[in-house]
Amino acid sequence: MKGSSRHMQKNKLKAVLATAAIAAVAFVGAPTQAHAAGLKIAIMPKAVNNGYFTAWNQGAQKACKEIKATCTYLGPTEATGPAQVQFINQVIQKKYDVLVISAADQNAIVPSLNKAKAAGIKIVTSDADVATSAASSRVVAVLPAASARIGTAEVDWIAAATGGKGKIAVLSAAATAANQNAWIAAMGPYLTQKYPNMSWVGGTVDKSVFYGNDDPTTSTAQFDAILSQYPDVAGIIAPTTVGVLAAAQEKKAKSATVHVTGLGLPSQMAPYIEDGTVEKVGLWNPIDLGYVAVYAGAAAKAGTFTGKVGSSFKAGAKSYSVVAGGIAYLGDPFTFDKSNIETFKTIY
Amino acid sequence: MKRLLSIREVPIFGVLVLFFGVAALGNHALFSASGLHDLLFTSSIICLLACAETLIIVMKHIDLSISSTIGFSSYIIGKNASNGHGLLYCLILGVIFGLAVGAVNGFLVAYLKLPSLVVTLGTLYLVRGLFNQVARGDFINSDKVPHLLTYMADHTFVKVPYLFLVALAMAIVVGFVMRHLRSGRDLYAIGSNLPAAHLAGIAVEKRTFWAFTAAGGIAGLGGAILLARFGQAQANSGLGIELSVVSACVVGGVAIAGGIGTIYGAMIGALLLQTIVMALGALGVSQFWQGVVNGALLIAAISLDKILSSRSQRTQIMRVSA
Amino acid sequence: MMSKLSALRGNIGWDKGVGILLLVTLIVGSLITPDFATTSNLGFVVQDIGEIMIIALPMAFLIIAGEIDLSVGSALSLVSSTIGYSFAHGISFGFAILIGICVGAATGALNGFLVNYLGLQSLAVTIGTMGLFRGLCFVLLGNTPVNQLPDFWTGLGVNNIPHTFLPWSFVLIAPLVFFAWILLHHTKIGRWTFVTGISAEAARFSGIPVKRFKFLMYVATGVMVSLAAIVYTLRFASASPDSAMGYELTTIAAVLFGGVSIAGGFGTMWGVIFSVIELGAIRSVLQLINFSSNALQMVSGALLLFSVAFPKVIELLKSRREARVKKPSPSLASMRSVE
Repeated sequence: MKGSSRHMQKNKLKAVLATAAIAAVAFVGAPTQAHAAGLKIAIMPKAVNNGYFTAWNQGAQKACKEIKATCTYLGPTEATGPAQVQFINQVIQKKYDVLVISAADQNAIVPSLNKAKAAGIKIVTSDADVATSAASSRVVAVLPAASARIGTAEVDWIAAATGGKGKIAVLSAAATAANQNAWIAAMGPYLTQKYPNMSWVGGTVDKSVFYGNDDPTTSTAQFDAILSQYPDVAGIIAPTTVGVLAAAQEKKAKSATVHVTGLGLPSQMAPYIEDGTVEKVGLWNPIDLGYVAVYAGAAAKAGTFTGKVGSSFKAGAKSYSVVAGGIAYLGDPFTFDKSNIETFKTIY
Repeated sequence: MKRLLSIREVPIFGVLVLFFGVAALGNHALFSASGLHDLLFTSSIICLLACAETLIIVMKHIDLSISSTIGFSSYIIGKNASNGHGLLYCLILGVIFGLAVGAVNGFLVAYLKLPSLVVTLGTLYLVRGLFNQVARGDFINSDKVPHLLTYMADHTFVKVPYLFLVALAMAIVVGFVMRHLRSGRDLYAIGSNLPAAHLAGIAVEKRTFWAFTAAGGIAGLGGAILLARFGQAQANSGLGIELSVVSACVVGGVAIAGGIGTIYGAMIGALLLQTIVMALGALGVSQFWQGVVNGALLIAAISLDKILSSRSQRTQIMRVSA
Repeated sequence: MMSKLSALRGNIGWDKGVGILLLVTLIVGSLITPDFATTSNLGFVVQDIGEIMIIALPMAFLIIAGEIDLSVGSALSLVSSTIGYSFAHGISFGFAILIGICVGAATGALNGFLVNYLGLQSLAVTIGTMGLFRGLCFVLLGNTPVNQLPDFWTGLGVNNIPHTFLPWSFVLIAPLVFFAWILLHHTKIGRWTFVTGISAEAARFSGIPVKRFKFLMYVATGVMVSLAAIVYTLRFASASPDSAMGYELTTIAAVLFGGVSIAGGFGTMWGVIFSVIELGAIRSVLQLINFSSNALQMVSGALLLFSVAFPKVIELLKSRREARVKKPSPSLASMRSVE
């Protein structure tokens, strides 16, 4: 009997040690979700050579370092769908594990994304999504905030600047830019409902949009067109970083009185906020967009995240859940004005 | 009256005035000091580049690379200014860069006798790629733009914007050279009849080389104007502007076939094209129709030019070589 | 030995040079990266160059005949937009394609009319039609691309022919390429093209109806552009007014890189075909070894310069050697006509 009790003691010890070992591994493993190290992740902006996407990539690279993945920043020089398709093909060819992409064209890249998906690559759109009808081609879209929130926030900013009255125009990006069109669609009913003393220069919001094509020359020309067509315009909303910068610059050059707001990079808009040309702009942090997207992709590859509505994943310390449309939102945009521009202008 | 009409530039100027008038009738704000100011201010870059392009087109060549040159130059000037260097230093760097690109074009076209369309298409891509590689996502912000440039962009002299005055000054210099100096008039000869130019003892290679180099230098200087005008410089600065400049020259009577046209015509062409853009905006023409109108008007302008030039061409050539 | 080498060099036209370059690229490419010479990657390359190949064929004819067309990218977009617009308004897709082809032919007819019957310079006037066509795209589609295209058709655009690495578009493109080659080098039309390019006067005197010939050439360009537009629309499963931006310069660069002289009257279809494939292959190889897209742009520019400089330098070196042998004779005959 003595032998068996010693045997039992040995087994017990083994069991305790084993449990301890498992517990230790589980404890160490828990904060960092079980990501396989050494993932190959492709980070694809609409176009390289763009300050906004450089910041976006910064966030992505930070996440990659944390999960010990190899991330490559690659993309076209012009922000068109066909140009991106060439790079998506490259990603398929080189057998990347995850593709984090900001869609330059919400339709043209869909067939290629489906090919990548069929090849086992996990796709996460970030910053700019594909068309709603094509949502199945990607695991999840990591977007800043619901279109309604971004559009209505901008109306709030312009209302604050104009004192809640006057006629408003919009200086947008390309006519086909899906993000901008969605935000603008949200602006229309919100302005009518919340600010009865304000109206659109063209009657409806659709008739009050001018397209700057994300090109400084065109944006400036369209700003001038707004002023010459509607000399009494009180405010201009520019929901694009190129547009709001051009509008601010042209407003200053012509000493115009129209109020300008929109989505602006704090580093670019700082001089105009500091000298009072622009009261306030807002933007989410593109660094966060990149950061969160990488985590989503890695979790998808590890099989712990499916992107189904209601599922969630962790990015660093925070958890994000998926809502209707397969989208994970980061939260409302930050606003930048004289009080905080100092801090933010060096970050992005 | 007939003699007046036979001057190439007059009908185009007439169209400009006509168009401006029609547009102003539709929108009174246009027909004011500020409307004119806007017109001159917005056209200054294309006017300046038209000085460069006219030198090239009259020789029956073309230079597509000016957009990359002006873009990269604006970045070079802005970057050096933001690193603390003085304005003159930055300007010199930009101009030297432009001269270098122009010299490459000039060497390949004049001495290797390569076709200018191919060469400048190649340098267009090459310089833009180099620019993008150097600049990446960097951008020059408005507070880094040298103060003198910002001052010039924001102010006028006798109601005329400083930036336009720079373009006008360059046009006067180029116009003087092309009309009164041997080196300038030789360019017309080269464009009208190359073998005859050789026979007449014109140093064709030398003139061609220096024309391209000068064009590059003007584009380099233009980088400062681009920087001042937009208060920023980044990888896409100047992208696509080459076709607008060629259009302005063609509309202004500088025929692609070479040998004819003046810088003053090119400037009127640039002003006309800008007037059209402004007029369409001011008249509330939907942006979606503007592209159509622009294209149709360019075709109309070229057709008009063809009809008039076949009448006045002989008179003009005789006047230039007189 | 040296004279034999230089004689050999003189005989190798740049078009064959591109062919050799293509071979070198394929070999070097498969050696330096395992991902290049795979069937899937080659399939990507073929798909990539599809539209440019289709447009380069008529562009080669135009440039050899002494003309040019800068409106092809915008015309492609217009045809694509027309197809999308028609389909979105209830017309069956097959019929929408037919309408697109008619629109493409119309764009060619407009260019042809302006250049040949009004006698306008093709470079300048096609800049105008480029803007006109692009503008019409936005008039048609505004800011809403059409993206719900029938699966059968988009499947053709995206999938490969079963059991091969070739996309379905190959079925359209291969015969077109073959036809263009035969047309240029083995038929009367091809000969007319070269003669017209060398001298329109001489062409007229030898009985070629130059105006009508070049007009029809532009119409044919329009039809080819519409075929490219069909491939484009199906491949990207959408019709958008901002399609094919910049395709005109890319196509012209490819044709020139293939050894076609911009002055007209000289060039081969082989050169153009090799050139389009080569540019696609080089891009693929460089991308796979992680060249940045900025560097790729520089390479495109450098290649273009090299393609015209190299034959010229060889020619100059050759003539310098010949001049040293003979006494130089200063006369009209020794003066070169500049291209």
